[in-house]
Amino acid sequence: MSGAVVEAKDVCFKYTRTLVLENVSFCVQAGDYVGIIGPNGGGKTTLLKLILGLEKGAGEIKLFGTPVAKFKDWYKIGYLAQKSPVSQSRFPVSVEEVVLMGLCYDSAHKDPTAANLKEVYRALRQTRTLDLAKCIFSDLSVGQQQRVLLARALVSKPQLLILDEPSAAMDATSREMFFDLLGELNSKYGVTILLITHDTGEVGKYISKFMYIDKELVFFGDKQQFCHSQKVAEKLGAFAQHTIDHLHNHGRCPLGCQCEDVHGAFGHVAAHGAEAKHD
Amino acid sequence: MISEFLSYGFVQRGLMAGSLVALICALLGVFLVLKRLSLIGDGLSHVCLTGVALGLLTQTSPVYMSLPVVLAASLGVLKIMEKIKIYGDAAIGIVSAAGLALGILITAIAGGFNADLFGFLFGSILTVGKTEVFLCALVLAALLLFLLFFYRDLVAASFDEAFAHTRGIKVSRLNATLIVFTSMAVVLAFKVVGIFLISALIILPPVSALMLAKTFKQVLGLACVFGLLSVWSGVYLSFVFNIPSGATIILINLLFLVVSFIISRVGRGYGKREGKHAA
Repeated sequence: MSGAVVEAKDVCFKYTRTLVLENVSFCVQAGDYVGIIGPNGGGKTTLLKLILGLEKGAGEIKLFGTPVAKFKDWYKIGYLAQKSPVSQSRFPVSVEEVVLMGLCYDSAHKDPTAANLKEVYRALRQTRTLDLAKCIFSDLSVGQQQRVLLARALVSKPQLLILDEPSAAMDATSREMFFDLLGELNSKYGVTILLITHDTGEVGKYISKFMYIDKELVFFGDKQQFCHSQKVAEKLGAFAQHTIDHLHNHGRCPLGCQCEDVHGAFGHVAAHGAEAKHD
Repeated sequence: MISEFLSYGFVQRGLMAGSLVALICALLGVFLVLKRLSLIGDGLSHVCLTGVALGLLTQTSPVYMSLPVVLAASLGVLKIMEKIKIYGDAAIGIVSAAGLALGILITAIAGGFNADLFGFLFGSILTVGKTEVFLCALVLAALLLFLLFFYRDLVAASFDEAFAHTRGIKVSRLNATLIVFTSMAVVLAFKVVGIFLISALIILPPVSALMLAKTFKQVLGLACVFGLLSVWSGVYLSFVFNIPSGATIILINLLFLVVSFIISRVGRGYGKREGKHAA
């Protein structure tokens, strides 16, 4: 697989008077595994919403070469949001039905075919949620709901996966399984992945590129270059770059504290913000 | 007693209109409640007051006068939500307040409150005419067709609007159609239960059904059953005891809600929450 999967050119977005994104341009190629990082309120989620056509801003965004407003091949895309849509209230649909929603039906009112159900069970097996197939979705824990929603994102065998901090509600085992699965999808099947994450420590071993967003595109490129980018150094300080680099290479913080498994590299940057600035 | 009750033409028309309105409100209510838009019925019913007042002022049918007014208001709610980007309940509140204020103003200009207006405020199911019964049947038929063709899209969009968009579902159009149907339901329902109680007929049967049902289709079916039973028993009791039919219908719905709550607690009390599958 080759070619541009997501192209953004001079993308700008404002909420009333607050500028959220300014002149963001990049091109994600097929097979890329991009970790989107940056501070809270930096515009990461907004960027994903613009890519999916959920928000409209200035500039141009293309999906598989087609402007997002005219894009129709939605089966090529799997999307998983930060929060479950029904974490509080009861919604009477089973896990199986939720995953079925991930398939693009030709006709909205037809019952699912045996082939559709086969795909559903494949996706449930992939996310290790097969035993939950007949459960009511809203009765599951938040972590289980996220795994089911990942199955929904995978059921159409997407070529592009767009994930917005999907692992926040998962326990350590589920998170490891989750990132391993994403890594396998990327390396084995060439699925392009855009992933907003603060778990840079855990996910770092799979990610091929970093995108650092802080209202503007601070950095987009190979993860090795991230630690040598002058612009990133100006934003974060050299210590932060070093921390992230060290975590990726050694799996632990250079300061020797024990919080790396919980927070990931950006947790460290936040935790040691004073040192980062000082450096 | 019952055969005597059913022998009156006005009772037959009232029961027919009431049953049709109950079905329309129950079916729409399920989607509105799950989309957290259930108060739109309340807001639009207040707008009805403007239509009724205009009808009484111009000596035309309040039903025909209310229909365009409420339709315009419903589209106003949608536009406010889309363009001004405020929460749905705030948009409903704005339109509702405007409708109520205008209605009161026009009523005052027309010479104050009178017996006709009182009937519209609190319902007068036994004054329903043949044309209104026909209109109710027409709207129900259109709604059933809409549900038949867009059932899966509606369930998916009620569950998760953002994801539904990424499946190519035209969520804005579905929402607009639902709200237009709601405005028609509100206009047709104000003779059955009165302007003040329309929203209860939209909200209560679906909420009771949601407590008991295990599948989405069961929710739709149970909501219809609750709606129909409440109208039939409410009209009968109001005839026997000479009490207001609209208020009786709503109180019966409240009784169903309490009973559903108790049944759901007894049925699930020990199992569901504690039996949550471990992650």
